[in-house]
Amino acid sequence: MSDPMQINGDALLRVEKVYAGYQDFDILKGVSLHVNPGEIVCVIGPNGAGKSTVFKTIYGLLKVRKGRIQFDHQEITNWRPQAILKSGIAIVPQLRSVFPQMTVMENLEMGLYLERDKQRIKERIEYVFDLFPRLAERKDQMAGTMSGGEQRMLEIGRALLLEPKMVLMDEPSAGLAPLITRMIFQNIRRLNEEIGLTVLMIEQNARQGLEFSHRGYVLELGQNTYEGPSQELLANPEVRRAFLGGR
Amino acid sequence: MELLLQALFNGILLGGYYAVMVLGFSIIWGVMGVINLAHGEFLMIGAYGAWVLFRVFGIDPFLSLAIIMPVMFGVGYVLQRVLINRVVERPHLISLLVTFGLSIALANLFNVIFTADPRTVPVSYNGSFNILGMTVPIVKTMILGLALLIMFALHVFLQRTRLGRSIRAAAQNKNAARIVGVEVGRVYAITFGIAIALTAAAGAMISPVAPIFPFMGPPFTLKAFTITALGGLGRIPGALLGGMVLGLVETLLATFVPGVGTNVGIAASFVLLVLVLILRPQGLLQGLRPMEVE
Repeated sequence: MSDPMQINGDALLRVEKVYAGYQDFDILKGVSLHVNPGEIVCVIGPNGAGKSTVFKTIYGLLKVRKGRIQFDHQEITNWRPQAILKSGIAIVPQLRSVFPQMTVMENLEMGLYLERDKQRIKERIEYVFDLFPRLAERKDQMAGTMSGGEQRMLEIGRALLLEPKMVLMDEPSAGLAPLITRMIFQNIRRLNEEIGLTVLMIEQNARQGLEFSHRGYVLELGQNTYEGPSQELLANPEVRRAFLGGR
Repeated sequence: MELLLQALFNGILLGGYYAVMVLGFSIIWGVMGVINLAHGEFLMIGAYGAWVLFRVFGIDPFLSLAIIMPVMFGVGYVLQRVLINRVVERPHLISLLVTFGLSIALANLFNVIFTADPRTVPVSYNGSFNILGMTVPIVKTMILGLALLIMFALHVFLQRTRLGRSIRAAAQNKNAARIVGVEVGRVYAITFGIAIALTAAAGAMISPVAPIFPFMGPPFTLKAFTITALGGLGRIPGALLGGMVLGLVETLLATFVPGVGTNVGIAASFVLLVLVLILRPQGLLQGLRPMEVE
């Protein structure tokens, strides 16, 4: 069993006893978590526990008042979002983040907006098309006319363009039908197996989130209360009763 | 029949002008969700710019665009940076108030500087010639040509350049634009600069054929509303279509409805606006981004 206090020295992302929130009010009251390279880690918890706040805090949208965040052997506490993106964390936000009236191709090109090397842009897009043949088929389609699941794939594909060391996802299942959600999670798992993608996801859909991840954290009232391998959390009677709808 | 053809032709000339006149208004609304109530005043400034350059330096109003557009781009850029960017994320009412205040301040400033006397730019070629029995006014035809050219150039800029694409990205999904590294504040300032330059250009173009006075702006702002409602936000084809519809309706009404004269424009514009809002609130064409209900 991993001891949360004795943090793995090889962790890619390490959030240590972080306090953060809005104005003078802390939503997160000492959250600690870490993500190892090649892992899918899922944060679950009830509404209002601070799941989205975790996302915003790591991504630099909210100020860390106490504690610290390290990524890839660098302290990134209170860095600006742009700098955090550059350090190798790609994000897939909960809200739709495609450009609806641009084609799939244009959306991907926008994903490499800061890249000037045309050859590299071409290569990266080819790479994403290899991972998501569906996107290649639809490259001339307006993103806004695709289904919710396809748009989510496009968002994930676009995040991968930048060769991130980790992808941070806020509710990948948000607004999607159960079957589509499953397809998205399967894809995340597949990317993890195929290219060793490291993922931290914040997920409302606790059961599926845990099913497709290696480790999980339960967040309650701004603190992480349970953690461990996802299979164990799925089997833990207390976690089941509180977050997985009993049974 | 001849009367009808002439009216249609005049309507198209007017419509082309309306289309280029509305571009700035439509872009600002479509890209950053700000309704620029000072739109007509920037047009007025462009017209005065052309008048001053003509009077003092003898520069032709069409050539003066080469000076007016870069200068007004700078004005727009700075204005966005120091003023509009502060209110762009706030509720609509705030930006309405700010631009309304700007419109009053600008109109009165120009009233103080230039007095309320109407000015004209009497270019030597302001005449007309006949083709197949139709009267073709020279300046207005030049305006139409230039309007089409400007729209084409803007279209190419938005579709084909990196900067143009970042403007479209910011318009369609501001947060996503930020995620991929677009500096939205800067893009907004450039957009505002371009929009103000285009609006001032429209003012300079019309200076040979319309009286220039400090309070000439509001009717243009009102018509810009109608055209935008007709054509949708930020779309160049939409601006062209909306402008043409309004131009044709105005001209046909003035020609065939006895007693209404040429001042029917504003009334026609509002009737159209109400009709569009009732029948097709999303505009005749799809916009640069979907109209949002807020």
